[in-house]
Amino acid sequence: MNFTKVTVAGAALACLLSSVAVPAFADTADKKIALSNNYAGNSWRQAMLTSWETVAGKASADGVVAAADAFTTAENQVTEQAAQIQNLILQGYDAIVINAASPEGLNGAVKEACDAGLVVVSFDGIVTEPCAWRIAVDFHQMGKIQVEYLAERLPDGGNLLEIRGLAGVFVDDEISGGIHEGVAENAKFSIEGSVHGDWAQDVAQKAVAGILPSLSDIKGVVTQGGDGYGASQAFKAAGRDMPIIVMGNRHDELSWWKEQKDANGYETMSVSIAPGVSTLAFWVAQQILDGKDVPKDLTVPFLSITQDTLEASLETTQAGGVANVEYSQEEAQGVIAGAM
Amino acid sequence: MNLTEKPWIWAWLGTVSIWLVIASISGLSAGTEVLTAAASFGTFFVLVAIGQMFVVTLGPGNVDLSIPACMTLASTVAMKVMNGSEAMLIPGFLIVVAIGLTIGAFNFALIILLRIPPIIATLSSSFLYLSTAIWYNRGLRVKPPEALAEFATGKIGVVPLLAIAVLILTVLMHFVLHRTYFGRSILAVGQNAKAAHLAGIPVERTRFLTYVMCAVLAAICGYFLAGFSGGAALNMGEEYLLMSIAVVVIGGTSVAGGFANLPGLWGAALFMFLLVTMLNTLGLSAGYRLILTGAIIVAVIAISGKKR
Repeated sequence: MNFTKVTVAGAALACLLSSVAVPAFADTADKKIALSNNYAGNSWRQAMLTSWETVAGKASADGVVAAADAFTTAENQVTEQAAQIQNLILQGYDAIVINAASPEGLNGAVKEACDAGLVVVSFDGIVTEPCAWRIAVDFHQMGKIQVEYLAERLPDGGNLLEIRGLAGVFVDDEISGGIHEGVAENAKFSIEGSVHGDWAQDVAQKAVAGILPSLSDIKGVVTQGGDGYGASQAFKAAGRDMPIIVMGNRHDELSWWKEQKDANGYETMSVSIAPGVSTLAFWVAQQILDGKDVPKDLTVPFLSITQDTLEASLETTQAGGVANVEYSQEEAQGVIAGAM
Repeated sequence: MNLTEKPWIWAWLGTVSIWLVIASISGLSAGTEVLTAAASFGTFFVLVAIGQMFVVTLGPGNVDLSIPACMTLASTVAMKVMNGSEAMLIPGFLIVVAIGLTIGAFNFALIILLRIPPIIATLSSSFLYLSTAIWYNRGLRVKPPEALAEFATGKIGVVPLLAIAVLILTVLMHFVLHRTYFGRSILAVGQNAKAAHLAGIPVERTRFLTYVMCAVLAAICGYFLAGFSGGAALNMGEEYLLMSIAVVVIGGTSVAGGFANLPGLWGAALFMFLLVTMLNTLGLSAGYRLILTGAIIVAVIAISGKKR
């Protein structure tokens, strides 16, 4: 009967596909991995969770791991996330992948997890507890390369406007530190004004609109991501010349850049971290559970978009989302091998 | 009547003195541009603060903490439904109003039926609204229709269109507060709910209408803010929670309820924008900016509070 044949062929094909796609099949098939996430209230974090569902969800459906569940705390509080980690230990997970609310605040709970025999991998928001693995972003460098790019584009230098993130957050200090180091090395630049945009387009737009009238000619705007489009709208509303605004990979920023590029040849760059770094963290945890030797400190590569790659990036970026890269197991192994 | 006895005078005095500082640092033409920006952004503060002011005036314990979530949910749904199409502008607006009505009614149901204090009720319901917004569109930023963006950022000369519209609304609301049965009921309930009830004022109906009005105004603010800033975002309402309360209090409305005024909202909204702008212009680091912002707000409230 035709129906049976198709089913049998389909099943055989499925077996074949899954065994081809999953070389590390055997050793982690009974392991459970949990994602402990501290915040979900912006588009970057939503993309991060979607990537996790796509990649880790498939890995668990394919039987690479027994489970890959995502948990997000409601209040972005250290105490809440510590309690969540303790619950995950009790629920019998073998590994916890953490995007942490604080670098130090969770160390107690992380130590408990390690002592209970769990593998802990932190990424983006990393933890300092030595027993955990860290997939860190070199935020300092992310600030510095913006100034280095502007130094190439503006041989005569000029005034810069800095848009910072959320005051008091470690990431904001790191990126800003990198920017200021870059400016110190390039004497032709000076930071004429600095405002906090809270990584939100509307807040950045408001802060820039306020300070702009008191600033003289601005040649470049250094940013932290999620604030470039708002800055461009503030410059436009004030009727000022459009400076080189460094973008942060958001879809609205990229599509505005594309419009300007087509209209008047506007040139800039865009840099941020792909939300899919959660999938790198997932594979790292899987590799450790698989018994592989993985260094404790790994670095995430930036996702940069240039004048030439703009169109391609825009095409693969979901409308309204953020440019993303999801990692496969082989790519994660590549990152690990690169750090050895 | 002596001007210094008006509760709203202090916010305006603060606004004028801060503007003078900015103009003396950056010059007169920069000062004018700053005023235009202040009017553009102050408009959104005033829009949510009008609703918050009526709620606060209902008396001790009345406050709406679901304003940010309401703005986010209403604008997220509207932007996705309109999907950039100008033909959908009116349906989009009606959806926003409907969401505001629903949220206001739901908030009040929690407060009256389940007897939950307004602070807890509106704080917990905002988790529901924000989660609904996340579930509905996963934080994707949909562009507003071009006509909405043009209206929201449009100007006549140096005066933003939206500021004119909200100014007209403010005048209307001034009339509603002081000259209509509904407005006077709010003041009466805020001064003494029991006396108001004995005088035959429908206390619960007044509270219901006030919470609904606050949610509708927040939803409308979200609609225009999304038009202004190029789309709805999950974190777009965040600063409007503290801001809506700060603008109401600095504007000279009594936190204990029963006494409100509308001119103070504009004074306070411009004051809050200009204050941050001045500290940015002076180039102070974030720590000093936050300390000074807090200290100046406390000072304004303390000075204006003495008169009452």
